[in-house]
Amino acid sequence: MSLQNEEMDVVLKIKRYSPEKGYWWQEYKLKVDRFTQFTEALRRIKSEQDPTLAYRASCHMAVCGSCGMKINGEPRLACKTLVIDMAKKYGSNVITIEPMDYFKPVKDLIVDLDEFYQRMYKVKPRLYPHKEVLEGNVEQRLKPEDQRELWKFAQCIWCGLCVSACPSVKMDPEFLGPAAHAKGYRFLADPRDTITEERMKILIDSAWRCTYCYMCYNVCPRDIEPVTAIKKTRAYTRLAKEKTSIAQTGEKHIEAIFNSLLETGKLEEAKVYLSTYGLLGSIKDFIYLFQSGKVKYALVKEKSVENISEIRKILSGDNK
Amino acid sequence: MEKVSYDVVIVGAGLAGLMAAHEVASAGYNVAVISKVFPTRSHSAAAEGGIAAYIQGNSDPNDNPDYMAYDTIKGGDYLVDQDAAELLAYKSGEIVMLLERWGTLFNRQPDGRVAVRYFGGQTYPRTRFVGDKTGMALLHTVYERTSGLGSVDFYFEWFAWELVRDENRIRGIIAFDMRNMVPVFFKAKAVVIASGGMGMLYRHSTNSYINTGDGYAMALRARVALKDPEFVQFHPTALYPSDILISEAARGEGAVLRNVKGERFMARYAPKKLDLAPRDIVSRAILTEVKEGRGFPGGYVGLDLTHLGEDYIKERLALAYEAAKSFAGIDATKEMIPVRPAQHYYMGGIDVDITGRNPDLVGLFAAGEAACVSVHGANRLGSNSLLETLVFGRETGRAVVEFLKSYTEPSSDIDKEAEKMIDSAYEVVKSESGVHFGEILERLRDTMWDYVGVFRDENGLKTALSEIMKLREDMKKMYVLDKSKVYNTEFYNALELKNMLDLALVIATSALNRKESRGAHYRLDYPERDDQNWLKHTIAYLRGNSVEITYKPVKMTKWKPEARVY
Ligand SMILES: Cc1cc2nc3c(=O)[nH]c(=O)nc-3n(C[C@H](O)[C@H](O)[C@H](O)COP(=O)(O)OP(=O)(O)OC[C@H]3O[C@@H](n4cnc5c(N)ncnc54)[C@H](O)[C@@H]3O)c2cc1C
Ligand code: SF4
Ligand code: SF4
Ligand code: FES
Repeated sequence: MSLQNEEMDVVLKIKRYSPEKGYWWQEYKLKVDRFTQFTEALRRIKSEQDPTLAYRASCHMAVCGSCGMKINGEPRLACKTLVIDMAKKYGSNVITIEPMDYFKPVKDLIVDLDEFYQRMYKVKPRLYPHKEVLEGNVEQRLKPEDQRELWKFAQCIWCGLCVSACPSVKMDPEFLGPAAHAKGYRFLADPRDTITEERMKILIDSAWRCTYCYMCYNVCPRDIEPVTAIKKTRAYTRLAKEKTSIAQTGEKHIEAIFNSLLETGKLEEAKVYLSTYGLLGSIKDFIYLFQSGKVKYALVKEKSVENISEIRKILSGDNK
Repeated sequence: MEKVSYDVVIVGAGLAGLMAAHEVASAGYNVAVISKVFPTRSHSAAAEGGIAAYIQGNSDPNDNPDYMAYDTIKGGDYLVDQDAAELLAYKSGEIVMLLERWGTLFNRQPDGRVAVRYFGGQTYPRTRFVGDKTGMALLHTVYERTSGLGSVDFYFEWFAWELVRDENRIRGIIAFDMRNMVPVFFKAKAVVIASGGMGMLYRHSTNSYINTGDGYAMALRARVALKDPEFVQFHPTALYPSDILISEAARGEGAVLRNVKGERFMARYAPKKLDLAPRDIVSRAILTEVKEGRGFPGGYVGLDLTHLGEDYIKERLALAYEAAKSFAGIDATKEMIPVRPAQHYYMGGIDVDITGRNPDLVGLFAAGEAACVSVHGANRLGSNSLLETLVFGRETGRAVVEFLKSYTEPSSDIDKEAEKMIDSAYEVVKSESGVHFGEILERLRDTMWDYVGVFRDENGLKTALSEIMKLREDMKKMYVLDKSKVYNTEFYNALELKNMLDLALVIATSALNRKESRGAHYRLDYPERDDQNWLKHTIAYLRGNSVEITYKPVKMTKWKPEARVY
């Protein structure tokens, strides 16, 4: 056991807020050791220096999801982050703490999560087993590998960090957001659930509204990979009876990518665009690319990959 | 004063409160659930290792519920009410399978059935688990299920402050909307207190920050007794120095405790059960090793799981691995985890029978850690508490439904009483200057840890009592700096402190009163268990600044007290 302790004087710069006074920054000096979590630092500030500071925290072990905030600009759980680690990472003993982005501020580090909860409820976050099972007449079994797959996505602690970081949530009111998708997929993929059709209706259209930016993947403190849940949900599009235009476009996009790979072994963005969005849509996008100076990427002449037959084999095997 | 009316108000949205709510709402009554935090932030989420259950056809073939009851009774050093232990054991399989049907992702055996592991004090392995985040998995399931009923009103981020009663029955509660400090009188025919534990009373605790014992104090102030308040459980393996729990599951899976010399010291204290002896025994063993100079500098010992192998550790003990890594910088696949005891659970609680009913106040019920049905007696076995929250949460819900069926409307008006209670909240912090809650709180936590902890004696307990009395005096000068009405957490911290001081007085007094050692209550000056004089429940009432103690017999069914050796 090599428990190396060390101490450090740090300054926590906290962005505070009250409806009466608006925003202001306040600094607190304190001594921390190797093991001091941000929740403990905040608790000490509140009980030793400034009782008016408001924040949420409960479990201090990264399972309750209360303490999401931004530390040196990173969306994090305060309890899962050690003060010294952040000081070292940024090479400075002055550390900023701010409320999570996107949500409405309530007081200091506390934000309003009501809308987040509404999104979670939208995906019907509960199992709907067969009536026989519910009444206890038959036992349902679950393969260990299914349990493992589902458990990964079931571990969402409703902290909201991913939503605070997700660009699509901000742009698109129809998008359910990463956490709700993780939750939704956990039940969509559960072989014991009976409302798959309804779940597909709720989830698939929204799944195509994600931009695959991977922010949710990066910030999730429980390594849920909401974007993976979204990808897996998109794969259900094939099974859906009714498809919204977004889902249809999405499917076309995937098909285009597939064909591009099949022909050349590469992703030819220009071609993919054309067949996904049709000529008109592509021209609009092209103008945008032109304006933002990105057009050279779209027009790069792709050379065919050498072992194309191998790739074709893999692709056709995958898609049976 | 704003008013709302419900058939039932439930304080607490942990497993016990939600289970009771589910039962009552399913029977068609209207229910309000009040919680300081969003339900899934309740402390139940932090439970790690698992939930005990004897499941017919899916347990060791030699096991049976009677053995489970027996283990519980022996583990609790015979202070357990045996009818309660039997009910717990006999309903365990059914309740776990109910949660399975509701969708809890229990770990599985290769054939798809629910898997099982060993926990301390079990004759046969009975603990069912979801990795080592069992509490979280169960809590999310029950919350998702209960909120899906659509008929339970959740008031989360509401602070329950006082019970409102008349001569002999409960009439509701006073609670504040934490977002804007508006007090509301929740009128109710029945009230269930499921407000969880009280770890914040102690300097070192594995509990959530929100566990401040509010429910116990509310009950005490409403002239309701606590049962066995001197029994506080300390968990032997809290991570040093952050006090994050390293689940007993680690030892259940084969981890071993070692002192600074590398010795497996439990051989000296529990030659048969070794590291899987009950918690009180292991806690004392660790502190004895430390006291006698065989601990690591700083006062801890090592928990060795290196021999279990990386894959196994990362799958079955993910949280222990992760906690050691993130909070102590230790790689548990290669090094021992530094651990020491910390406050963990409260065996004492609001006095109730096996239906959750309180005898002092008609219409008052309690469940979960807030209650003392007395299934844990003097020392709780690991993984029995999650089980208790669900089994007795449901039993209580059912008893409430029965109670409501024969309910008659009272004629007296009670609004004046309710007004007074709102004033009492402001009274706690009515000074214009003086001390803040933090100054008193930190002294209280040290006092409780130093003198009302793992080892106790008369002098220490007396010191604690006089310090607590002083702190209660200081509290009169407490004031709140934050004048805003929006999410004023300082105000609620001050109210919590008042609750903690009420409870502390009762714990320390009862501990001084019990002149024997039993389970987690260990008196250096009375090191033996004394069945002759002390095989009885403490029943404690708070009367202003003093505590009145009476006794109740322990309910015995099949098992006679025997020496507790492991
Ligand atoms: C780290 C840890 C690990 C554990 N692991 C296990 C385990 O593996 N197996 C096991 O069996 N047991 C375990 N336990 C014990 C078990 O988790 C708890 O005893 C149990 O979860 C308590 O549940 P509860 O429903 O009684 O209360 P809680 O889950 O604590 O819920 C209390 C509720 O009351 C509310 N509340 C409190 N005060 C107020 C107020 N004034 N106003 C409004 N609302 C209020 C809270 O907001 C919360 O919703 C563990 C405990 C800890 C500390
Ligand atoms: S990958 Fe999708 S869900 Fe995740 S943050 Fe980006 S847009 Fe949002
Ligand atoms: S998916 Fe991850 S980041 Fe998003 S709410 Fe759940 S736990 Fe938090
Ligand atoms: S306090 Fe629970 S997740 Fe941080």
